[in-house]
Amino acid sequence: METGKAMKYVATCCVVAVVGLFAFVVNESKMLSYLSSDPKVCINCHTMNTHYATWQHSSHRDRATCVECHLPQDSFINKMIAKTRDGYNHSLAMTLGAYGDNLRITDNAAKRIQNNCISCHQEIVSQMMANSELYHKEGGVPMGRNCWECHRSLPHGTTRSLLATQNNLGVKEL
Amino acid sequence: MKRSWLITIVSVVVMVPLLLLAVSIKENKADQQAINAVPDIKKLEPRSSEWGKYFPRQYDSYMKTRKSDDIKDVLKADPALVVMWAGYGFATDYNAPRGHYYALEDNINSLRTGSPSDAGSGPMPSACWTCKSPDVPRLMDKNGELDYFTGKWARLGGEIVNTIGCADCHDNKTMKLNVTRDYAKRGLDAEGSLKYADASHQEMRTLVCAQCHSEYYFKKTEYTDDKGEKKTAGVVTFPWDNGFAAEQMEQYYDQRDFSDWTHKISKTKMLKAQHPGYEMFITGVHGQQGLSCADCHMPYVREGGVKYSNHQVGSPLENIGSTCLNCHKGTEKEFRATIERKLERKNELSRTAMDVLAKAHLEAGKAWELGATEEEMKLALQDIRHAQWRWDFSIASHGSFFHAPEETLRVLGSAINKGQEARVKLRTVLAKYNAATYEAPDFSTKEKAQQIIGLPFNKHVDEKKVFLKGLREQWIEEGKAKGIYDAKSREGMQFKTSYN
Repeated sequence: METGKAMKYVATCCVVAVVGLFAFVVNESKMLSYLSSDPKVCINCHTMNTHYATWQHSSHRDRATCVECHLPQDSFINKMIAKTRDGYNHSLAMTLGAYGDNLRITDNAAKRIQNNCISCHQEIVSQMMANSELYHKEGGVPMGRNCWECHRSLPHGTTRSLLATQNNLGVKEL
Repeated sequence: MKRSWLITIVSVVVMVPLLLLAVSIKENKADQQAINAVPDIKKLEPRSSEWGKYFPRQYDSYMKTRKSDDIKDVLKADPALVVMWAGYGFATDYNAPRGHYYALEDNINSLRTGSPSDAGSGPMPSACWTCKSPDVPRLMDKNGELDYFTGKWARLGGEIVNTIGCADCHDNKTMKLNVTRDYAKRGLDAEGSLKYADASHQEMRTLVCAQCHSEYYFKKTEYTDDKGEKKTAGVVTFPWDNGFAAEQMEQYYDQRDFSDWTHKISKTKMLKAQHPGYEMFITGVHGQQGLSCADCHMPYVREGGVKYSNHQVGSPLENIGSTCLNCHKGTEKEFRATIERKLERKNELSRTAMDVLAKAHLEAGKAWELGATEEEMKLALQDIRHAQWRWDFSIASHGSFFHAPEETLRVLGSAINKGQEARVKLRTVLAKYNAATYEAPDFSTKEKAQQIIGLPFNKHVDEKKVFLKGLREQWIEEGKAKGIYDAKSREGMQFKTSYN
């Protein structure tokens, strides 16, 4: 029974440690800030500095925040699912250091952005959409292409390497 | 027992990724802090290369202002100027401006600043440094504005050793634009249409330039220093109380009975317009549309993913593609032609005005020679004063023909008119003294003109050379000893002047 008692003690300690550690991580990672839609949250980690700085110097600065393009806008639930999915992928990549200097968007995220382009620029693209539906039925994306395949520098510029914006004052607002 | 084991194992399994995450977050935060560290630049650091360590692109482009290095002797191109400025330093030496890189060098090399042999000699007051160096705000901050504006130019030679640079316009911590000369703020507030405290960032992109590219004079200001000694400072002051227009500043100076110098030949109490670039620009269409100086003179450029403003301040015509064509349709060739035509129009009227004014001075000189009385000359001299002021005001900022073509030509028109009125009055006086047919002597070259006004040009040059080899070198050594001299600011600089 002695070992049983000791084990109970160990188990309690472990639970306390986990709870403590979790609280620490919540605090250190500013976990609650991820519930907001402030673009500065995206540069909690320096990995997004380039993307933040290039967006901040773009014409979209005053029109659309990070999440307005990168997360689905159709329903709250879809938005949260996408946020969780991205959050998990990002934490994993950050923790394991499993990312290079040039980040590439996932297909899932690309689809969301494409939808958001269309939803804001509805007036100007509605005719193109109608035409493409008539003549180019192919997959979910009209004509099988994304807006930024032509509008290449929008909004992050043509060079998105993580090393591209050193000395950029934009991110020093933190 | 079993449950305890289970809880422990689950806890440990959960703990491992949590720990990894915690470590990764900590590392990331340290990185972020290093990346976001505020550059370690001292307040009002005068050495631009120190700022350049943190802002290499801006610094490199700023250093390219060294490419604008041609000396264009304006007195040679327009010898009438020599006559118009007789008795004033400008008649000795006046070149078209070069890049910011050369601002201090040209101030020191110009024959206008003379050849002092010690801290208390030479023709110019300390205020002549005011727009040439970030050492100026540094000194104002250290010893006070009034102290800075006291004494001779040569007094501060060992303190002012770096040309216009980062600290002239930027805050060392935030890099925000910053007017570092208080007289500019006072000038704006006195005029009242844009109070300094209300200026937006876009307006600051003009005002940091306006702290130097504006009309000013040295206002005599008496004060008592710390030791109770009575002193007089010549404080740079913008004459904007009545407004920004040529006539309003003319009225300002008349009200105060101010003159920069008395003309050597015509004995007119003269005004020298400096470079009312800001005042002219805001009357023009680009100024009215809310553009700033930096929009065209420091256009944005992209290098990789970095967008920054080009600090190679110079003519926007070097870069029509990233300036004019941002907003306008048309080709570079068309733009060049349009602007060239604007310049020709200005030159045509300006040359006429200069010819009229030089002749008016010489005719007035003849009238004095023949024994004309002050009473007879008074009104004609008043016209000369106003005419030359207006001519100078309209063209002295160099870019006015483009910034504000209508205003430039309007003021030039009134200058020609005033000048001719003076000549009509002078002709009556000359006729009275039997010289109705007097014709002014030929001033068609710089040498002839300097001879007419009795200017010992070679003497000035010889004295200057002694100064440049002596005291000037000593100033650099003093700057080095104080640790304020930026060697990079003069690296490989060639000695170029109008007289060597």
